[in-house]
Parts: sequence; C-alpha cells; structure tokens
Amino acid sequence: MVNKRRTYLMIWVIFAVICLFLFLKYASPKVFQILMAKGHPMPTPSTLMMWYMIMGVLAGLVYATTSNQKFVDFLSFLLPDRGPVIKSLLQKVLFVSFPVLVGWFVYSWSLPGAASPVELRIQHPTLPQNYEKLENPFRHEDAETQRLCIEEGKILFQTYCRPCHGSKADGNGPFANAFRLRPINFQDPGTIATVVDNYLFWRIKEGAPGLPSESTPWDSAMPSWKDDLKDDEIWKIIMGEYDTAGVMPRQREKLE
Amino acid sequence: MNKSKILLRLTKRNIVVALVLIISICASFSLTHKAFATEVESGVELPQFDTDQPSDTSQASEGSQAEDAGALAAAEEEELEPVQYRSFFGLDSRVVVWIVSELHLMFAAFVLGVPIFAVIVEIVGFKGGDIKYDKMAKEFTKLLSAAFATTASLGGLLAFCLFGLYPEFMSHMTNVFAPTMYVYALMFFGEAFTLYAYYYSWDILKGSASKKWFHISLGVLLNLFGTALMFTTNSWATYMMSPSGIVPTTGRVLSLYDAFYNLLWMPVNIHRLIANVCFGGFIVGAYAAVKFLGSRTEEERAHYDWMGYVGNFIGIGALIPLPFAGYWLGREVYSASPVMGNIMMGGAFSWTFIIQAILIGMLFIGANYYLWLGMGRIKGSERYTKFIKYLVFIIFACFAVWLTPHNLPLSGEERAMIGEQYHPFSKYFGVMAAKNAVVNMIILATFFSFLIYRRSNKGETVPFAEQGKAGKVGIFSALIFCLLMLVSYAVSLNFVDIDANMKPFVKPLIFSLYIQTFAVCVTTFLTFKDKGKLAQMLLFAVTASIAVLYFWYYGFQVMEKANLVLRYLSVTQVSIVMSCLIMNAVIDVFMFRKAKVVGGIVWGKMPVRSQYALILLCVVIVILMGLMGFIRSGLRMDWHIYGVLQDTSQWAYTPTLSFMGRIVGVIVALFLGLVAFVFWLANLGERKAKEKVAEYGYETETEPKGVLAAGCKDVR
Repeated sequence: MVNKRRTYLMIWVIFAVICLFLFLKYASPKVFQILMAKGHPMPTPSTLMMWYMIMGVLAGLVYATTSNQKFVDFLSFLLPDRGPVIKSLLQKVLFVSFPVLVGWFVYSWSLPGAASPVELRIQHPTLPQNYEKLENPFRHEDAETQRLCIEEGKILFQTYCRPCHGSKADGNGPFANAFRLRPINFQDPGTIATVVDNYLFWRIKEGAPGLPSESTPWDSAMPSWKDDLKDDEIWKIIMGEYDTAGVMPRQREKLE
Repeated sequence: MNKSKILLRLTKRNIVVALVLIISICASFSLTHKAFATEVESGVELPQFDTDQPSDTSQASEGSQAEDAGALAAAEEEELEPVQYRSFFGLDSRVVVWIVSELHLMFAAFVLGVPIFAVIVEIVGFKGGDIKYDKMAKEFTKLLSAAFATTASLGGLLAFCLFGLYPEFMSHMTNVFAPTMYVYALMFFGEAFTLYAYYYSWDILKGSASKKWFHISLGVLLNLFGTALMFTTNSWATYMMSPSGIVPTTGRVLSLYDAFYNLLWMPVNIHRLIANVCFGGFIVGAYAAVKFLGSRTEEERAHYDWMGYVGNFIGIGALIPLPFAGYWLGREVYSASPVMGNIMMGGAFSWTFIIQAILIGMLFIGANYYLWLGMGRIKGSERYTKFIKYLVFIIFACFAVWLTPHNLPLSGEERAMIGEQYHPFSKYFGVMAAKNAVVNMIILATFFSFLIYRRSNKGETVPFAEQGKAGKVGIFSALIFCLLMLVSYAVSLNFVDIDANMKPFVKPLIFSLYIQTFAVCVTTFLTFKDKGKLAQMLLFAVTASIAVLYFWYYGFQVMEKANLVLRYLSVTQVSIVMSCLIMNAVIDVFMFRKAKVVGGIVWGKMPVRSQYALILLCVVIVILMGLMGFIRSGLRMDWHIYGVLQDTSQWAYTPTLSFMGRIVGVIVALFLGLVAFVFWLANLGERKAKEKVAEYGYETETEPKGVLAAGCKDVR
C-alpha cells in the first residue's frame, strides 16, 4: 500500500491540484450562493483563482520535495517500467494532457477578446488632512439630543441616500441595480465600521469628484453633497446611517 | 636585458597611468564644480542674486581696489535666502537619500543583529562545552568588523547627503536633536571600541572561566552600545512620523524628552530589535549555505550545514514574535494619525502590504521547508514525517488567507457577476480578524514543525519523576510565568477605560484567558503524570480553538460593534499563543531530556535545495526590509516632519508601486553585492592561511586546542 502511494505520488499531487481547481471554479460559487442566499452564483475572481492555484501547485511541489526519497518517488512516475496497466495508462494520459493543457493556455491567452481590464482600486483612499481633525459635534451632546439627531439623520438618510444605499443601508436601494459598481452594503462590518465618522463626512461632502485619482473617481456614482446639505445635516445623516446599518463608527484610539 | 625591458615597460605604463589619473582628477574637479553649481529646477529655492550685480570681468576691467572692497562689503552684507533643497549631480535627491539610507540601515541591522547572535552562540558554546559554537561566534564577529566599517562609511555618506540635499530639514532636526547627536557619536565610539576589543581579545581571553565571562561581558556591552545607538536614531526617524515636544507652527523646542520619546519610538524600537536578530540569523544562514555549496570536504559540509541550521533556528526564533511587534507598531501608527493609518492599510500603501504578506509567507514556508528537509539527516525522523503533509496543508491554506486582499482587482464583468462590493473570499479573509487568526496558526504550525524536528532522534522517554529537581523547577517556572501573563492581563481587562456599551465585548476575552489558564494548569498536571505528549496536544488544541477559530469569528463581531476592543483582542490572542509556545517548549525540553537517542544527526547530509532555501530566506528578508523601509518612510506622504515641516520639493509625491519595486530591487542587489564583497574581503586572510597550510603542511595559526573546553570543564 505504501509502495503504491509512493509510486503514484505525482498523480496524487496532480489530483489534489485538479480538485482545488474544481472547487474554486464550480463548487465555491454554488456554496456561497446557498450560504449567502443569493439569486446567482458568486464566481471566484480570476485574480484569486490564479493566486490560489499557484499556492496549490507550490504546496504540491513543496510536499513532493520534502525528502530525497519523496522527490525520487515523485519523478519516478515518469520513468518507463513494467508496472501495472493503470500506471502505464496514467503515464500516457499525462504525456498527452500536459502539452494539450499548455496549448490550451497559450490559445486562450492569445485569443482576441473584449474583456474589460482588471482594475486595481484603492479601497479606502487617503482622508485629506483637513478632514483628519474634524469631530462630529453631536457626539458630545447628551443622550436625548443624540437620539433626536439620530432620528433626524435617519429621515435625511431615507430622503437623500435611500435610492441607492437602500432603506436598510444594505446597498439594495431601488437604483442599486443601475450601477455597474453597486452601492456599498453598510451592514458589512468591513465597510463603514472600519473608518472614523469624519471619513464618512469627507465622502458625503466631496463624493466621487473628490476622490484622488488612484481611487478611480470616474468609477463611482457617489454625488458631492456639499452644495445641497449643510455640515450639521451631514453629521446627522452619518449618525442615522450607522444606526440604520446597525454598526458603530471606528473609535479614535487613545495613545498608549 | 629582459629585466631592463620589463622595467622600461613598467615605467612607460606608470607614466601613462599617472597621466590618466591627473587628467581624470582635473576633469572630475571641473565636473564637480559644474555639477554643484547646477541650479535645481522648479520648486526648489536656491540663493538668488540680483541680475544687475556687476560681473567678475567688468569688475576686473574697472580695476579699482576701492570698488572691489565696496562690492565685497556689499556682498558680505547681503542676506542669502535660506537654501531648502539641493540636487545631487542633477539626480533625484530623494532617490539618492532613499538608497543610501536603506543601505545604511541594512548594514546597521546586520551589525546590530549579529552581535546578539554571536554572544548567544558564544554563551551556548561556553556552557555546553562545544567548541564549534565558539568558533562560529568568532567567525561572525570577524565578518562584523568588516561590515562595521562599511556601515560607518554609509552613515557618513547619508549624513552628508542629508545635510547637503535637505539643509532646511536637517536644520530643523539639528535644532531639536543636537544634544542627542553628541550622545550618538559617543555611543558610536563605545560600539567601535567594544567591537574591536571583543574580536581581538577572543583568543587572549580563553583558558579560564573568569576570562571567558569577561569576554562575554564585552559582547554584552557591545550589544548595549549597539542597542542604545539604534534607539537614538530611531527617535529621529519616528519623530518625523509623530512629532512631539515642539511648537508645530514655529518649531521651537519645548521638551527634548518628549521629542525623543515620541509616540512611535518604542514600537519601532521593539520591532527593529527583533527584526535585526531575525535578519542576522537569515544572513548567517545564507552565508553558511554559500559556504556549504562550495565545500570540498565532508568536514566542511558538516560544519556549514550545522551553521546554516543554527542561523535558520535563530531566524525563525525571532520571526515568530515579529508579527506581534509589527501589529503593535501598525496600531500605534493608526493611533498617531488616522490619515497615516488609513493610507497604510486601506489606501495607497495597502498593496505594498499584500507584497509584504507574500514575503512573510515565503519566510515561514522557507523556514519550515528547511526544517522538514533537515529531518532527512536525522535517523529516527521517519516516525514524524507523516505529519509533514498536514503541516504543508495548514501552512499553505493559512498563507492563502493571509495574502487575500480585502479589495480585489476585478474586471467589470466580474464585478457585475458578483453583484456587490466584496466577494465572500475577500470579505471573510481580507480583514484583520482573519489575518491575525491565520498568522497565529502559521506560528503554531511552525512551532510544531520545530518540535517534531527536535524530537526526531529521541526515543523512549524516562518517567518525569526521574527528571529530578530541574524538571519540576523548569515546568513550575514556566507555569508561573504563563499564569502571571494570562491572569494579570485578564484582571487588567476588567478595568479598561472604555465606554460602558463596549464593556460586554471585553468579557469573552477575559473568559478566554481563564480557559487558557485552566488548560495550562491541566497541561502541567498531565506532564507530572507522565502524559506530556497528551498535555502538549491538549494545549495545542485549546490554543488553536481559541486564538484561531474563535477569535476569527469574534473579531468580526468586535469590528462591527466595538472596534476599540480589537486592541485588547489582539493582545489576548498573542498572550494565549505565547503561553502555548512557552509551556509546550519547556515540557518538550524536560520530557525528552534523558530520552534514548535513536540515531545521531548526520551533519552535512542535506540536499542542495535546502541550501537554496536558506539563500532564498536571506534574499526575501532583505527585500522585506527594503519594502517596509519604504512604507514606514512613505506614510508621511508630502511631509518631512508630519504636520510640521512640509516637503515642497519636486519629489514630494508618493512613488508608484512599479517605481518603488525598481528602487527596492536596486537596493537589494547593491546590499547583497556589498555583503558578498565584504565577506570575501574578510575571508581573504583565511584563504591565504589555508593555502600556506596546504603548501607547507603546517598550521600558521597556533590555536590552543582544547583550552576552551578546559575552561568549560572548570565551570562545570
């Protein structure tokens, strides 16, 4: 049994890599569709696919070379011998499929296509320094005033932000499907919960036109609200927005 | 006749050489004059003179001494505009300073890291009575002497570049830090003297325990000077990121102490100190690997194989706590300025952190790979090689999570198909909660690799009762240390200054610490009952469950509702993992102390690819250092001193990733080339001696063999 496993080490490694590919390509989109209750599969992005496959191949090669014996076993599969028929068959499959695979890669890469380029988008563009020290004036008020501000902010949010960001701040507003890049789901803890609330103040006030060039301002439909909303209103919207999404703004840390 | 011809030729050649030299010196003088006279282009202020100022020739034609004197007096009275920037032979000043400072820093890291390494190895050799440790420590101190001069030269060049190219900035720095600069110079003397005393007294201070201890004390003193030196310069660098102790508008110094002990000073100190040891270890490993590859005899191969192992061991030992120190530094950068924190992890520098993740992953994989290959030279390791496939799976799976970015590069079609901002992989793997969890898992897996490596040639263990007092004291000491660490932190969490609505989020952390405390106690109990392996397994399982699985999930909860608690969560995570590492290491030491040896270690029996793994580790850590140097300095964006002194030069922009990659590549190539050159120089004498031995058949250096061993016996 041990000898068999050793003889077929290369096949085991290839099998593991193929399984990884099948999982990423076909299984995970379905799994995420079910887990996240989506109406469509969630395909693995090509960049991640490439990275994970590289990792898989690398892991296989590292394992196969962790000892001289393993390395010899790994390579010996390619040598002709009077082994079982299945080995001979697998060898032939390997010798045919490997060049075919390489050829397929070359063909698919060189095939003319019209796919849009992959963009390297900056997630959290740098907050301009003049916004760094700003503080929400209503956060220091008493609890009752804060409650009123939140209520007022929620109304403003539903008035100005709901069409895109949705009534639950989940990015599912009536206009959301019209955008190529959907509005952000604020309920996701990786979004507004990771930034201080003056960051939101900047984003609302300046909108996409105020984004730095590396953050692709042309790829965001967020309008600039500085001509339509007063500062106080923006602060209240921020309070209402966090409350609607059910998350907290990032707190300023005390220096140790 | 022949001799005279040769002489004639030599004379002719010398004349030609002399002529070429004179011409080139003259040319360089003239060029230098022109180069330094070159006005810097737009955006740089240089002294301006009136256009109607009389020229030299017109002055000469008038020829009046009185007028000359008047012009001189006028020139003396004229106030020059302060110079902000100069250019370096028309090159980009920032790139010049970047390359020189990074090279200086890398050499300094080597010069500071290797003495720590050397002294530890010397002590180990002295206490264990093994002379090869002593020889290795000396070999590296020899390299250190050569590298020290290069570090100092680069330091001088850096200072001249800074004062020459950025005079206004350096004027500010001198204004604030002048007193510490004198201290720095004194420390430098101290380090130089102790380094040379340490190296040159090596053979003199052999022979007795007291002499050896005195020598070790010199090494410790060398490290103290080196550390003080580094801490001093760190304060200047961190002041540029988080200035304090001055009036920001005027630059007036209010407190030198506050400027020196600025907010980021200690996190950078700790991070650099650990990183230097790691850096030193991997450089030593690569040096040994190169020597191994060039070895001609079995003895040499065995020696350099062993040296590579020790280098790698120290490298990994320092690498394990490094992510914790780095995380602390990162948090404090965020605390110092949300803008800097934001640009670092979410903004323009976030992609450099993906590169960093890849490099750190490579370090862990390379170090583990070397250990696994190393098991091949140990008889008896076959019992443990079955674990390797699981370790490969765990480490690579964790690595995959570790490098998954939160914000993925997506095509328009992919975005449309995903239908929202984040793909689930990036949503659940791309945030710090996931990263912290998997890096702890990688650390635990690496530690496990090391445990199976060290017990590979150990057979049947003796009952714990037979370990004597040492075993009991050792285990109890580890237990008390872990309990103090865990319980004291758990208690302190009850009193954290935090909003009442966030307090409930701290409770699970306290509870987790108490569970780990209980697990550590059970582990000790089981060890005393001769069930050490079960105890270790239990502690691994509890630690992985809490610090990896549970905190991965809980990290998301905290991020959502109470992000301030993340700070306490990460410390709790570190404490739990550290307690596992400490306890399991001590148990392993005492469990296998008197165990039967199954087979010896056959040093030198290593495949060649293991040595390339060591070289890869060295190259990767050099690249990592270059990259992190860029990040730390680049976070200030267009500020020389953040928020105080703005960079108004034409180079005040953040370089692109591609440009950064090229410059870091040049720095890495220069550093590795220089190190190879310095090592070659340091070994020239040795080669000569070996040639003499081969030629005449006697030892040129009469080493008192066995003297050290005799000294060790005295101690024992």
